[in-house]
Amino acid sequence: MPAMTYAQVEETVLKTLRPASLKYWAVVSLLFVGILIGAGCWAYQIAIGIGVGGHNIPVVWGTYLINFVFWVGIAHSGTLISAILYLFRAGWRNPIARAAETMTVFAVCIAGLFPFIHLGRVWMVYYMLPYPNERNLWPNFQSPLVFDVVAISTYLTVSSLFWYTGMLPDLATVRDRASGLRKKIYQIVSLGWTGRHEQWRHYTRAYLFFAALATPLVISVHSVVSWDFALGIIPGWHSTIFAPYFVAGAIHSGLAMVLTLMIPLRRIFRYEAIITEDILDNIAKTIIFTGLIVGYAYMVEYFLAWYSHNIVEQESFRWRAFGDYSLQFWIMVICNSVVPLLFFFRKVRRSIPWLFSISILINIGMWFERFVIIIGGAAHDFMPNAWGLYSPSLIEYAILLGSFSLFFFLFLLFVKHLPSISMTELKEGIHQGGGHGR
Amino acid sequence: MAAEKKVMALFENDTRAASAIEGLAGSPWKLEQVHSPIPSSKILSALKVKKSRVGYFTLAGGIIGFLSGISLAMYSGIQWNLVTSGKPVIAFIPFLIVGFEFTVLFAVFGNVLGFLLQTNLPEFRSLQVYDERCSGEHFGILATCPEGQENNLVAFFQEKGGEAKLI
Repeated sequence: MPAMTYAQVEETVLKTLRPASLKYWAVVSLLFVGILIGAGCWAYQIAIGIGVGGHNIPVVWGTYLINFVFWVGIAHSGTLISAILYLFRAGWRNPIARAAETMTVFAVCIAGLFPFIHLGRVWMVYYMLPYPNERNLWPNFQSPLVFDVVAISTYLTVSSLFWYTGMLPDLATVRDRASGLRKKIYQIVSLGWTGRHEQWRHYTRAYLFFAALATPLVISVHSVVSWDFALGIIPGWHSTIFAPYFVAGAIHSGLAMVLTLMIPLRRIFRYEAIITEDILDNIAKTIIFTGLIVGYAYMVEYFLAWYSHNIVEQESFRWRAFGDYSLQFWIMVICNSVVPLLFFFRKVRRSIPWLFSISILINIGMWFERFVIIIGGAAHDFMPNAWGLYSPSLIEYAILLGSFSLFFFLFLLFVKHLPSISMTELKEGIHQGGGHGR
Repeated sequence: MAAEKKVMALFENDTRAASAIEGLAGSPWKLEQVHSPIPSSKILSALKVKKSRVGYFTLAGGIIGFLSGISLAMYSGIQWNLVTSGKPVIAFIPFLIVGFEFTVLFAVFGNVLGFLLQTNLPEFRSLQVYDERCSGEHFGILATCPEGQENNLVAFFQEKGGEAKLI
């Protein structure tokens, strides 16, 4: 990072919190319309019934579950950047950590909505909670679906607390530069932080523990999500490689989403001096790594099907590549494993249009990966007479649109109301003698 | 007892602030607080502070979490009391997953609780003796001295390269 002073860091970040332009509010309003469309369709589904979706027998898990896995995946890179890279002392993470953490919190919230949507009778969701009841019905804690409830709620709670605690010093900075009602609001949300040595002493320790706890958690969460499938006996799902395969895929998609968000953010807020090309280059290099793991996992699945001599597995994977959903399969392979290889070229890693385009393609590819796994598995299992096909209904597309709108809506609100870059960590980077999290 | 006076000194870097802290240690004046925009290892070494005890709260939270997770899963299993997928009613391997998630959850609760309790946050009174520049570029030291010695204390801070003011 080029040498900046503390004052320049503050000025650059605080400038983003000034009152927004009309254009900003126009985009926010547009996204709000998207949310209303999604919410309206969900309300329609609640009124009419889950049958308004394209689900059928045998494909009872449709886009709602695809979206759930997709958004949980997106949520993973935030913790990778804020916790795992932090533990590895990768200093390049500092300028992007806050936005990535925020992305995590919003993505988990949206992911958490989809099991509710998928339930159909959403008012029955409390059945998942363990509480004494007259029917003596208790959740089965041996089921991966119940693991999911525990894991996702834990992840949401932990990532929100990590995000908020990490933001306290910056909220105090905003408070100290604000006036009037804004000052009062930031005073409350910063909890009266003054940067006292006692506060830093405990904060740095607590931050380290947060990172140390979030690291195994993030790996466990997507492993648990993968077991929703891998613990079933369906061909294409019942595989021991699912946990690492899902974790790598989650980080792959999350990093791509970080690029998708950072590139416009960097341009709109003039963050070029902070989110440098080197940082984007490092994200791209990490994407090569995760892309290679994902590509390897795709190949291993085929190898296992061939090596097992299990004709059902073999048919399932033959059909995946050449059957009804072959287009989705090849989109998945090309976008997730082939396109990221372009990042081997330095010129591509240093080109903003290339970075942005590839990040979008990976996002598309990762959505289709979940489509191929979830739909492909359920549609083509053991008995040919039970095979079927699925295509999402308009209601499902509208709810998908609503979820993307909600994500970008929340993110846009965040960047104009809270510091989107960690000023404290940037200052520490300049200072080099800081002890954040030691 | 003579009334005490408070003096706040601001330094542009932590090296000078650390030097002033070390100087205060051998003086008749009392160091109250040090404010900084970043966690400075130089300042923390000059203050000779002990390691934070947040970790004990985190550990306690983790242990409580693990036991709660496992107990909840076992209790639910016993209440339901039905063999599913051929697994015993109390199946430790799947319950370990619940135990692990609860461990992390409660360890984080313990971590946050420990942090809040030890830093006394939320707390708004100290904002009255706080200079807003300390969240920006300056390192602030708040010290007290008996009435009548405030000019000496101000001079001490100025000699150390700080900008001092009486509060």
